[in-house]
Amino acid sequence: MATKKTISVKSVFYTAVSLVWIFGLAAIAHIVMVLIEKHNPVIKYDYAWSCAIIGFLIIYMTRWFKSDGWQSFWGVLGGLGLWFAWEYSLMYGGHRMGVTYTFNGSYPEYRLMKWSFMAFLMVFTYLIYQESVRCNFIYFLRRKLRLMRGVVATGKIDNYGPRTAFEYIMITWAGYVLLMIAYDDQILGPESWFCYTLFFVSFSVFFYLCYKLLSYDKFGANLRYAIPTVTVLWNDVEILAKWGMLKEPWVHINWKIMSVIILGFAISTYLIIKDLRRKKESMIESKDIV
Amino acid sequence: MNIWKLLPVFLLGTSLSCLTQGEIEDPEIYKISYAERMKLLEKEFLAAEEEGNIVTGVIVEGNSLFNGTTIPHNKPYGKPYSEEELQAAAISAERNSKLFILAKDGTLYYPTPPQGQAVSQSTQAQRIHRVFTEEQKRGTEKLFTWATLVPMVGREIEICGEVYPGYGGIKGIYIRSVRFAGDYIDEEG
Repeated sequence: MATKKTISVKSVFYTAVSLVWIFGLAAIAHIVMVLIEKHNPVIKYDYAWSCAIIGFLIIYMTRWFKSDGWQSFWGVLGGLGLWFAWEYSLMYGGHRMGVTYTFNGSYPEYRLMKWSFMAFLMVFTYLIYQESVRCNFIYFLRRKLRLMRGVVATGKIDNYGPRTAFEYIMITWAGYVLLMIAYDDQILGPESWFCYTLFFVSFSVFFYLCYKLLSYDKFGANLRYAIPTVTVLWNDVEILAKWGMLKEPWVHINWKIMSVIILGFAISTYLIIKDLRRKKESMIESKDIV
Repeated sequence: MNIWKLLPVFLLGTSLSCLTQGEIEDPEIYKISYAERMKLLEKEFLAAEEEGNIVTGVIVEGNSLFNGTTIPHNKPYGKPYSEEELQAAAISAERNSKLFILAKDGTLYYPTPPQGQAVSQSTQAQRIHRVFTEEQKRGTEKLFTWATLVPMVGREIEICGEVYPGYGGIKGIYIRSVRFAGDYIDEEG
């Protein structure tokens, strides 16, 4: 018998804030890259190294946070820092090797990233069989494909920071590889059945993931689950732009729209920090086992 | 926390960041603000236009031109390829076959870096500043402020730059800015 899912106002609030925060972060990350390229590309590789170092430091720093909320919050930022560095490293490689833009406008760094699909599959294979991985999608694959011999590891997770960073990286990587393969005119192409299917599947899955997201009424789990939710929606944003139906405000620097996004991001950041601080104050102090 | 534990990360980052120095073409130009840079380029473009120094031509793909598979120079100006030929030319261009500018008078220009630059990257991988027409400036549509050569294969383009004597009748051209109709990515295909 199906159980009735209770959706509280609190979980709606957490879901909305998490979605706005992750979406805003992605949009701001894009516009930062565009602005650097436009105004002062001279600094871009120094910026990339700063992102890498800061990303690593943030991930390292998460060892001092007890709450999974704070760990997830900083984990996303650490993952984004490393992702920035990876994109710029490909940009640098593309520049050195003279990789061109494609006829339909895809950038050299993403063309290079597309061919990392086998590397992605190797990492993903490891994750599928890594017992301590608790990703819902991987659980689904394990269950349906009968992949595991025994039970998976259970118990408390203490290092949500690095996990969230890695989750952010893997999901963004998957999104880009998928889109770039879809855009490749010599494989499928933006007007192919695959691209249309991807658009509509992403659109539907986004709502399903939002529905699932409503089950989480605290910022740790909610932020982590918002990463795939927003990335799936981002597929649609990218595809619409590729079809010429949307001028991305972060590519064409539409400050009116970007101001709204930046404001949304600022408010959501404030609300997340406020909530996490409040939770910290009400936490019972417990010493780590050394 | 022992701060010295982070020292290897700093050292690694600093040493690696040195490897990427000096990989931007013409870094001096970026000392001027973007708006000023664009104004200067536009002024330069219009001055060159007044003096009749703008090169106008269509972008053609070199491999199929030089092996005789396509004959864009024998086609009506502005329509160098059939649908099928354009598809093939686009694929080749994406694979970094060399692109040329075929001018109205039949002169072939090979895009190059500026004179004196010994080590250089493929010009096809570089972004080129774009100058807009008055009509484009008045329009409400957000257009790309830059372009690269590959998505422009088969299309007409106006170029402001330095022309070099080249070799064997093919001239060299260092592209400083471009002007063209429509957007950078042609949605009509």
